Amino acid sequence: MSFFKRKAKNKEPERVPDAKATRAPLSPQSPSQATRNHNAFPEASGLSKVAFSAISANMDSFASGRTAILKKQPSHMEAAHFGDLGHSSVNYQPQETRSRLSKSADQVLQDNVALPHFMHYMEQRGADHLVRFWLEAESFRSTSWSRVRAHSLNSVKHSSLAEPVPVSPEGSDPQTLVQSTPSDPNISREGNAVTSEWREPSSTEAGLRPSTPRADTPNRQATSRAGTPCKGQSSSTLRDLSDKLMKTIEKDAVTIFTKYISPDAAKPIPITEQIRNDIVAKICGEDGMVDPNCFVIAKSVVLSILEQQHFSGFLWSHHFCKYQIEVLTSGSVFLADILFSESALFYFSEYMEKEEAMNILQFWLAADNFQNQLAAKKGQYDGQEAQNDAMILYDKYFSLQATNPLGFGDSVRMEIESNICREGGPLPDCFTTPLRQAWTTMEKVYMPGFLSSNLYYKYLSDLINSVRGDEFVNAGGQSQGGSSDNERPGSQTQQGSKKAAVKILKNFDEAITVDVASLDPESLYQRPYAGKMTFGKVNELGQFIREAEPEPDVKKSKGSMFSQAMKKWVQGNSDEAQEEMAWQIAKMIVNDVVHQSNHNSPGKATKL
Amino acid sequence: MTAAPYNYSFIFKYIIIGDMGVGKSCLLHQFTEKKFMADCPHTIGVEFGTRIMEVHGQKVKLQIWDTAGQERFRAVTRSYYRGAAGALMVYDITRRSTYNHLSSWLTDARNLTNPNTVIILIGNKADLEAQRDVTYEEAKQFADENGLLFLEASAKTGENVEEAFLEAAKRIYQNIQDGSLDLNAAESGVQHKPSAPQGGRLNSDSQSPKESCSC
Repeated sequence: MSFFKRKAKNKEPERVPDAKATRAPLSPQSPSQATRNHNAFPEASGLSKVAFSAISANMDSFASGRTAILKKQPSHMEAAHFGDLGHSSVNYQPQETRSRLSKSADQVLQDNVALPHFMHYMEQRGADHLVRFWLEAESFRSTSWSRVRAHSLNSVKHSSLAEPVPVSPEGSDPQTLVQSTPSDPNISREGNAVTSEWREPSSTEAGLRPSTPRADTPNRQATSRAGTPCKGQSSSTLRDLSDKLMKTIEKDAVTIFTKYISPDAAKPIPITEQIRNDIVAKICGEDGMVDPNCFVIAKSVVLSILEQQHFSGFLWSHHFCKYQIEVLTSGSVFLADILFSESALFYFSEYMEKEEAMNILQFWLAADNFQNQLAAKKGQYDGQEAQNDAMILYDKYFSLQATNPLGFGDSVRMEIESNICREGGPLPDCFTTPLRQAWTTMEKVYMPGFLSSNLYYKYLSDLINSVRGDEFVNAGGQSQGGSSDNERPGSQTQQGSKKAAVKILKNFDEAITVDVASLDPESLYQRPYAGKMTFGKVNELGQFIREAEPEPDVKKSKGSMFSQAMKKWVQGNSDEAQEEMAWQIAKMIVNDVVHQSNHNSPGKATKL
Repeated sequence: MTAAPYNYSFIFKYIIIGDMGVGKSCLLHQFTEKKFMADCPHTIGVEFGTRIMEVHGQKVKLQIWDTAGQERFRAVTRSYYRGAAGALMVYDITRRSTYNHLSSWLTDARNLTNPNTVIILIGNKADLEAQRDVTYEEAKQFADENGLLFLEASAKTGENVEEAFLEAAKRIYQNIQDGSLDLNAAESGVQHKPSAPQGGRLNSDSQSPKESCSC
């Protein structure tokens, strides 16, 4: 990517001699500058972004030193050259970016898109009770805490009633509250109102005691809402309500217990007797209060069963493929989805190789891996070892004698040098700047092409094919146990699934009839006009009529087949239509002129 | 190495795993560049290289992911196992410890890859016969017990390097032929271009030109 370097030179020519003068990476200046550089990374030092930019601005104004250049340059380069005002680079979080296509069991259970697919898979295996228990226990835990809080608040503040706020009977939390049939419909609605408000924040807390103080305003809201169904109620009724709240908790707990934990349950979850007794003890507490955390241990047991016995089977099943398809056709696919998903990465690597941009991807993979493994050590790592690793990357991609130069500008290179030569070894954010640039490049320059490429289309159709193939097998009545969902016995199934795949592709977008053979890139090379050996001719208007087929690139740049079809529906062939119109107008003008000139000099008959 | 586009009808994804220093990167380099890197630095995380070879008359591109052997990179490299059609498990015949660790690598490979993934065991540095620490027979036995292909190779001399990749490719191709590997499924580690130039459309079209070529 030499354009990095070229543009850097154009933009700041005066800085280059400056940089050269102060180049030596092991200069005595570097340790202090390195320290200052590390203050440039808010994550490392806790310095806020606002403070950081203020400092940069200051340093800018009276320091022409390297640090100012180093701090300022990267974001300028990105904003100016990648045309997105640096938005994508600002959002780049190396440690947190994850693919929606690669999820852990925990993440799937909390993801509304992935969860239904997982549930279907588990139903097929007859083990869905595990998932249902986990979900119910989870919502029980979070809603119980809010109910307990409301209760304790009510008992303290029963005299302060806010004005009645209209209850919005959101039918949220269907799992726990629908199944638990509370005695008082008012209470259930009220409980809904409280819990729906609290579901999000509570689910993130862990083991919060009711005595822990929370923000005042939401509590007051809870109180006011608690008062709602009974406008202008007295405090005694409020106490009643809070008692009823506690009763609902107990009811829910008992329901869950009966359904999943009691030995008489239809499908008990596999937990030890000890855990069961522990749960019983927590439900029937001495003070009459149910411990909202009573199911936590059982939940973690179930989660580990899911992870060990079922999850990998799910990842190989067609249900997961369906989920991936759903994500990939949702209209917004992010680079993170591609880079962090192994199957998507397979296709993307092939694409990058065709585009002769493998180096960027390689660098990104290596540097990201390096940073991740360093960060995972949480500061307990051998600085020398880390430095050696970092030097390998430096020699390969950054140094002036680099074997695989990427064309990073001088400033980035110097920043890396000082990051690596830091006292104590490089930090886990050592390569963040070039990583960000590589990421942005891949995102802006290569991803769009990839998403409209045949390779991506092939990936999608492979996914669909997997779904079809699996469903075909399973519909045949054989659901083989264990993780053999991906076995496809015999080639007949293959044939059947191939035909089905083509059909699916046709249904996928009715505007296009997809001919699998038409995905053949060889057809791009075939020229129906091959015999004539002309590119075209010029017609009477001087218009060049092309007789060769347009270049493959032109086809690609128009967008994916889906978007092309959409455009056809919506606008007609707008490009060609406009061009045609322009030519019509030109013809009209020419005719006009000819007509006039003929009129003026009738003797001449100029034929155009 | 950039391959001419559309020259191949399949792409197989391989991974190379094994202890650090056994020669994984050198094997890859020997295979893709036909050169021996005497002083190659250790791999950071993962790298990949590609090469096209012919398998049963078909052109197949191998996309080979070379993982770092250092223990500290183990967690990050695990994420690349998934969706591999073939895996090269490498040990160093002059260092017994690398052979002893094979069961751990094999466990990872089995757990994280497709049940149909072809795993081939490679005993590298076969040129250093004088320092041999692991006999051919015992490694062969280990491979047979675990259903693995096995070859001793030398990245330095090039001995058996091509064969290693080729054997795995042949086995994968065989799996495709007999249907145990669905090449149109995602995560099989195989990409397939639907119409390969096997005397198909290209030839038949060129037999009916409209006018004679005037070049």
